[in-house]
Amino acid sequence: MSMTLYWIQGGGCGGDTWSFLSAESPDVTELFDILSIEVLWHPSLSALDLKSKEQLDRRILEDEVPLDILCVEGSVIQGPSGTGLADTILGKPKKDLISALTAKARHVIAVGTCASFGGFGTDSETEATGLQFHKHDLGGFLGKRYKSKSGGPVINLPGCPCHSDVLAGTLSALANDLPLELNETNSPLDWYRIMVHQGCTRNEYHEYRVEEKQFGEKGCLFFYMGCQGPLVKGPCNKILWNRRSSKTRVGVPCFGCTHPDFPQRYPFFKTRNIEGIPIELPAGVSRAHYMAYKSMAAAAAPKRLIKRKSGI
Amino acid sequence: MIMHSKKIHVMPLNRVEGDLEIHFEIENGMVSEVRSAGTMYRGFENLLKGRAPLDGLVITPRICGICSTSHLKAAVKALDMIAGVNVPDDAVRVRNLTLMAEQLQNDLRHTFLLFTPDFTSPAYREHSLFEEAVKRYRPLQGETVVTTIRETKKILEIIAILGGQWPHSSFMVPGGVVSVPGQNDISQCRSLLANFRHWYERRVLGCTLARWSEVKTPEDLDLWLHEKRAHQESDLGFFIRFSREAQLHQLGNGHQNFISFGAYEMPLETSVKPPSDELYLFPAGFFENGLMSPFDQEKITEDVTFSHFKSHGDPRHPFEETTVIETPHINNDAYSWGKAPRYDGHPAETGPLAELVMASDPLIKALLKKDGPNVLLRQLARLIRPTFLLPAMDCFLKETGVGNEIFYRKNKQQESGRGFGLVQAHRGALGHWVTLQDGKIAQYQVITPTTWNASPRDGKGIRGPWEEALVGTLIKNPEHPVEIEHTIRSFDPCMVCCVHAVVGHGKGPTAKIFC
Repeated sequence: MSMTLYWIQGGGCGGDTWSFLSAESPDVTELFDILSIEVLWHPSLSALDLKSKEQLDRRILEDEVPLDILCVEGSVIQGPSGTGLADTILGKPKKDLISALTAKARHVIAVGTCASFGGFGTDSETEATGLQFHKHDLGGFLGKRYKSKSGGPVINLPGCPCHSDVLAGTLSALANDLPLELNETNSPLDWYRIMVHQGCTRNEYHEYRVEEKQFGEKGCLFFYMGCQGPLVKGPCNKILWNRRSSKTRVGVPCFGCTHPDFPQRYPFFKTRNIEGIPIELPAGVSRAHYMAYKSMAAAAAPKRLIKRKSGI
Repeated sequence: MIMHSKKIHVMPLNRVEGDLEIHFEIENGMVSEVRSAGTMYRGFENLLKGRAPLDGLVITPRICGICSTSHLKAAVKALDMIAGVNVPDDAVRVRNLTLMAEQLQNDLRHTFLLFTPDFTSPAYREHSLFEEAVKRYRPLQGETVVTTIRETKKILEIIAILGGQWPHSSFMVPGGVVSVPGQNDISQCRSLLANFRHWYERRVLGCTLARWSEVKTPEDLDLWLHEKRAHQESDLGFFIRFSREAQLHQLGNGHQNFISFGAYEMPLETSVKPPSDELYLFPAGFFENGLMSPFDQEKITEDVTFSHFKSHGDPRHPFEETTVIETPHINNDAYSWGKAPRYDGHPAETGPLAELVMASDPLIKALLKKDGPNVLLRQLARLIRPTFLLPAMDCFLKETGVGNEIFYRKNKQQESGRGFGLVQAHRGALGHWVTLQDGKIAQYQVITPTTWNASPRDGKGIRGPWEEALVGTLIKNPEHPVEIEHTIRSFDPCMVCCVHAVVGHGKGPTAKIFC
């Protein structure tokens, strides 16, 4: 059975769309074909003229055209002063259209961190918020009680951008009517119960506390360089980016872009720490045990790691 | 008797990065007035104030999902300047290679996913190549669309290998790049490049880069087009044939001023031979009245006469400029939330056409002389820009890591200071002006290519480039004003980049321009 898909962009950069185009085996055109998904509208890819687009919107809102999957990219802009006029379409706040469409959609997917949690603009005059979360808090634009027509909440696929495999996999599950088990922020467990750190090729350096204080080295970036890989959930080092690598593998700290607080207020390239141990430790870890483990690990570090001889 | 009619139209445009509405008046079938309105405000510059100096490397790439590496490079160049560090050759190569890979992606995605779908508009039902255009450019299904999606994502793998991921990585830091690519990484990049080049030659050009490089005059172009079926049926050949029949070379003239900040610094040692400059692959410059003059960033000012911002009297340089919103009714002349960037007092068009004009490309200059700037020429420049990038990338890859393999040079982070980072992003001149004070970002100004191209009028009443390009356009069918869509899209607008765009409370056509 075929499904319809409508994509709308709010306060965002378009990066989730361009990231999605990196999907591979199947690529996006093959994916839509295999899953029998009919793309009714995508702002960057469709060629409907104005009249046909208006007609499409009207027909969806009047239940003449079923809307199976609504993808929302970017935050919902509510400012300035609650007017929504910082993001409009034909003079009307775009948030009104988002609200109307979410009332009709069988499934709603928040594609990326801005749509999921608000992301950029949550603390600014744009009054940005996520579809059903505002940072950590359930609620957001649609409210705690919102359910799509399928009975489920908004499915959050955070990441700046959202990884193409995550969206492709979510669409596959919905199209095949398979259950999607969600975590505490309504993100599918398949991709959001693993830490970013898992699978990083610098993990051996991490194990033995061989930590870097400057760029261009091979060691771990967690203690000093601001890396949030052990703190934040995401599949970056499991499924890799563009099928090749990840930020942490090449030496860019993880900035925690899947986290509800992204972009955090603290400096990105610096770990906040007490006596050389990060203030934020991996969830559930006792500080005393962690300190003992790390000092023993450092003592046990082999020379090949201390001399950065091991590859990454 | 001539019927005198005047009608106001508002048209939202999709397939531009972000949201754009064009407000225009048609009088006797011709565009008599135009306002372009960015309809979203994201406030990125304000997000940066008070943050740590390096945070711009994480935040500014997120301004734009299709050119994040351009913002990263502008941000890092400003910080290099503040740190006073010389970037080692290998880091210059990696920075160039990644930006070039992103540019290849942009130029082909823009052309075949954003621009040529207009050829499938009902406005072209009578065009002799309409059916073929639908076959090639139908959204998500056209043959060229499908192969463009397939090939452009592969070239982006170069950025993931050298910088971790695309889009939105932050691998460039003051003093170089964080990655230390090994020999195998470089080999993989070379294979990806070779595959892309093969596709580009076979499908897009229809000939080798060597054959294309012989096309130096409009006569050469006609000879090339008639030489072989492969040339006529390539996407470049098809684009030229379709555009000529649609007379796109007579559409969207505009000013004849161009600006380029200079694209791709040359490493100290390299075998890449830039066509006309020692410093850049595409030189910096300002072009006016057929003459090119050396570029000096001191001559950039922002004019707010027709913008809803408080004026300081004379237009100011971006380092001196502050952004103070003024309530629209205070100044009745203001119709724009955008500032008007000017170079030495003049508006200027920027983008691939500007780059090739500055590089004195003989074909582009001859066509410019013949017809002036136009839709066909802007898009042609974008489609052939890869012919310059591909050989240069090949050289840079061969040279990377061959010498002393330094990708990062230690430097001391400054607490205070100011610097600017100027690059040629894919749609043209992009500048970041950064002021640090007491270890924090005190001021961050971004002028994007679309700010130049979509500029409102200045204090002398001179229109911005695409306003000028639209006025006087003949609209055949106001129901399908494809002429407006072609003209605007030929500038490859990036509305998400217009970081201080604010929506206006528009009154009819006297609404809002942005940036």
